[in-house]
Amino acid sequence: MSSFIRKRLFDDNAALVQLLGLCPLLAVSNSIINALGLAIATVFTLTLTNALVSIIKPIINKEIRISLFVLIIASVVTALEMFMNAYFHELYLILGIFIPLIVTNCIIIARAEAFASKNTVILSIKDGFFTGLGFALVLIIIGAIREIIGNGSLFNQAHLLFGEIGHYLHWHIFESYQGFLIAILPPGAFFVLALLVAIKNKYTK
Amino acid sequence: MNKFIKLPLILALLTFLASGLIMFSETTTRDKIIEQKKLLLLASLKQLIPDELHDNDLISDSIEVFQQELLGHRIKQTIYIGKLNNKITVYAIPVTSQKGYSGDIDIMVGVKQNGQITSIKIIDQHETPGLGDLILEQKSNWIHQFPMQSFNITQEKDFKVKRDGGNFDQITGATISPRAVVWAIKQALIYHQQFLSNNEKQK
Repeated sequence: MSSFIRKRLFDDNAALVQLLGLCPLLAVSNSIINALGLAIATVFTLTLTNALVSIIKPIINKEIRISLFVLIIASVVTALEMFMNAYFHELYLILGIFIPLIVTNCIIIARAEAFASKNTVILSIKDGFFTGLGFALVLIIIGAIREIIGNGSLFNQAHLLFGEIGHYLHWHIFESYQGFLIAILPPGAFFVLALLVAIKNKYTK
Repeated sequence: MNKFIKLPLILALLTFLASGLIMFSETTTRDKIIEQKKLLLLASLKQLIPDELHDNDLISDSIEVFQQELLGHRIKQTIYIGKLNNKITVYAIPVTSQKGYSGDIDIMVGVKQNGQITSIKIIDQHETPGLGDLILEQKSNWIHQFPMQSFNITQEKDFKVKRDGGNFDQITGATISPRAVVWAIKQALIYHQQFLSNNEKQK
């Protein structure tokens, strides 16, 4: 793995090391399907906004750059929201407010400012994709852990993402599991994230 | 070029492009979104008004209601009417229970012309996961005790959870959510008796 990719997926991971974008990360990670839905939306947004910011790089001016970034990010997310509403309607209803809130995910404006506004289009697309993927992986791992501990299942409500075939993905890991409520409630997100950060720190120091 | 002309021009140009993107997305998705909402609505009405009890278009045969006191509405809601051979068979009545544990619980109650419940559908709720949300069909069987029930004004004290001296099972650990739902179902049945079944007799 090249150091470019490794850095974005692991060494400088947006969620585990920079601790950016925690609001959606903590709120939507209560099941793997919710996490996956937001993960895909975030990767897509980050790649696209990085590409667009990089394309308009020649006309970006220091004084108005932030307004331009916000304009681009907000319109991309608005468009994305409409497409999700049209094609993944039930998932859209579940993710609810967290789709428009991608606008305020600071990873996106951070990559626009720190990387895309200074690099070529191809490189910016790669940066957006892999930074987003690093965030997405953490989101999905937290979602999986919380769902297993909290519900004893995986891929609950997978039909929201994969259509009818998703019903067969639903997997009860422990039969007649009583559930461990706190893993699904907001504190569970903090515990699992802290655990992941701790594990990562232990093996990279 | 002067900065005071150049910067606004850049901003205007990009705003123009961004609006274009949003307009494009809006026009491509508009019909699909309306269709999806309609599908979701029909899917949830299917339980309340079963296929064998209606042959009409449920979405066009509906009436708007606003019943703050009796049905707890905060905004205008829609009653859907199932008809078989042009005779009304089932009403799907929306109730907003403001007695939930965290916020309103929006419920649809399907009521046959004889006052029997066909089915109950929880449309929107924010009850505690694992406790209060056991009122949801996906989470427990609790809601299944209501179909076929009906309401008679002389039995008012029976139309409550057992803890309050009534006939219905409760949920261990959650008192408020089941109470709110049972209240809402009762209100829908009362509304049906007072307004909807009378209408039918007058015709």
